[in-house]
Amino acid sequence: MILPKFDYKKAEDIASAIALYESSKGQARYLAGGTDLIPLVKLRLSTPVAIIDLKGIKQLKTISREGGHLLIGANVTLFELKNHAMVKEYFPALHESLDATSCETLQMRGTIGGNLLQNTRCLLYNKSLAWRKARGFCYKMGGETCNVVPKAKACFSNYCSANALSLLSLSAGVKIAGPKGERKIKLEKIFSGDGRNPFTLKPGEILTEIHIPLKRSRGAYEKLRVRNSIDYPLLGVAVSVSNKKGRVCVGGIGPAPLIYDLKDLEGAYIKDPAQKARQEAKPVSNTTLSPAYRKKMVDVLTQRAIKRALKEGK
Amino acid sequence: MKTIKVSFSVNGEKATLQVKPYETLLETLRERLDLIGSKEACGMGACGACTVNVDGVPLRSCLVLTPEVNGAAITTIEGLAKDGKLHPLQEAFMEKGAVQCGFCTSGMIMTAKALLDRNEKPTKKEVIKAMSSNICRCTGYKKIIEAVEAASSKREAV
Repeated sequence: MILPKFDYKKAEDIASAIALYESSKGQARYLAGGTDLIPLVKLRLSTPVAIIDLKGIKQLKTISREGGHLLIGANVTLFELKNHAMVKEYFPALHESLDATSCETLQMRGTIGGNLLQNTRCLLYNKSLAWRKARGFCYKMGGETCNVVPKAKACFSNYCSANALSLLSLSAGVKIAGPKGERKIKLEKIFSGDGRNPFTLKPGEILTEIHIPLKRSRGAYEKLRVRNSIDYPLLGVAVSVSNKKGRVCVGGIGPAPLIYDLKDLEGAYIKDPAQKARQEAKPVSNTTLSPAYRKKMVDVLTQRAIKRALKEGK
Repeated sequence: MKTIKVSFSVNGEKATLQVKPYETLLETLRERLDLIGSKEACGMGACGACTVNVDGVPLRSCLVLTPEVNGAAITTIEGLAKDGKLHPLQEAFMEKGAVQCGFCTSGMIMTAKALLDRNEKPTKKEVIKAMSSNICRCTGYKKIIEAVEAASSKREAV
């Protein structure tokens, strides 16, 4: 598939990337691994006048320890992160979700920052322009309707990052740099909950760093998929437990992950978050699996992930 | 739109080109450099038929803009045979019958080469995991896995 015309600019540091963005009058997109962006541009779902390549920024490629946190540069690839000794030792849920992301070749290209900021997906959205024109534009394409649920007021596109779930379960935070300076926020604050524009990042802002509290944890990630490679999650559940406190995150259904605290780690209470998640998850018919099956699997995979997290590392 | 000057090496030979900023590496390889061994199938990074190795890392060339690989060392399927002798992986794919229609083969071999370059003796599980990056619609994968394993053991014998 042929790309539309755009300009290519390479940024040397974060400040110059933001300056390049501002000079494009808000019509540019930042490029890291490109495994999400380039297909979107090919499908004309994104039509930037310029692409600003962030891969040359050395500062974004480092992993370090600082003040009780592990700091991960946004351009660290998923493959590098997966094989990092501290991730394996401290954050098993993250290790599992990285391993379950796509396939090894794309893990070597895709970055953790890009993975978190991937666009939400829908069976009727990730299509060619000709296909979409024939069907009529939906909310997410700037139209006035939802093509999946007629008369719905919202967009039900699914947020498909597996690693966001495990990072949320580990209470991670992110650093964001933009035209108005730098800010640090909790990871859950980047989600707007609106499928049309799923992130709260302002135009020109760059996610530069992810920080995870450095506490040894037990954890697990469960992914519902039809193949064991390359495909996006049709449902994902991440669980991390440390110091008798745990967090359960359910995603792949709707534009933002669901987060639950695991207050008690004894048998009967394991079912609580699983049932709550099943009630609150609202799958619609916008993936290759039926919404009824996905809803059922929320319960199954949540319980499975919690049980595995508690069992492993004991 | 202004073109961009890019120089890199392909299969050991230097190339300096003026490319469009929105040109993919796959287009450059196939249309400017006549290296048509790398194939375009899905064009969306899902199938792996366009895989080439850039600085030793397997890459979907349909997802990479040519300006991104400025200064890199690129190996394509055409660069594997040396002095008229096929690469052990190419030999193994022929011996084991791991090729049917052949459209995925160059991508499969480049993915396998990157695997064997970073891990000389992968376990069967590691081979399956690495090769699951690529899609083949004919062979059923069994013979591809066998071929990669055969190439890895042959390499050790040499």
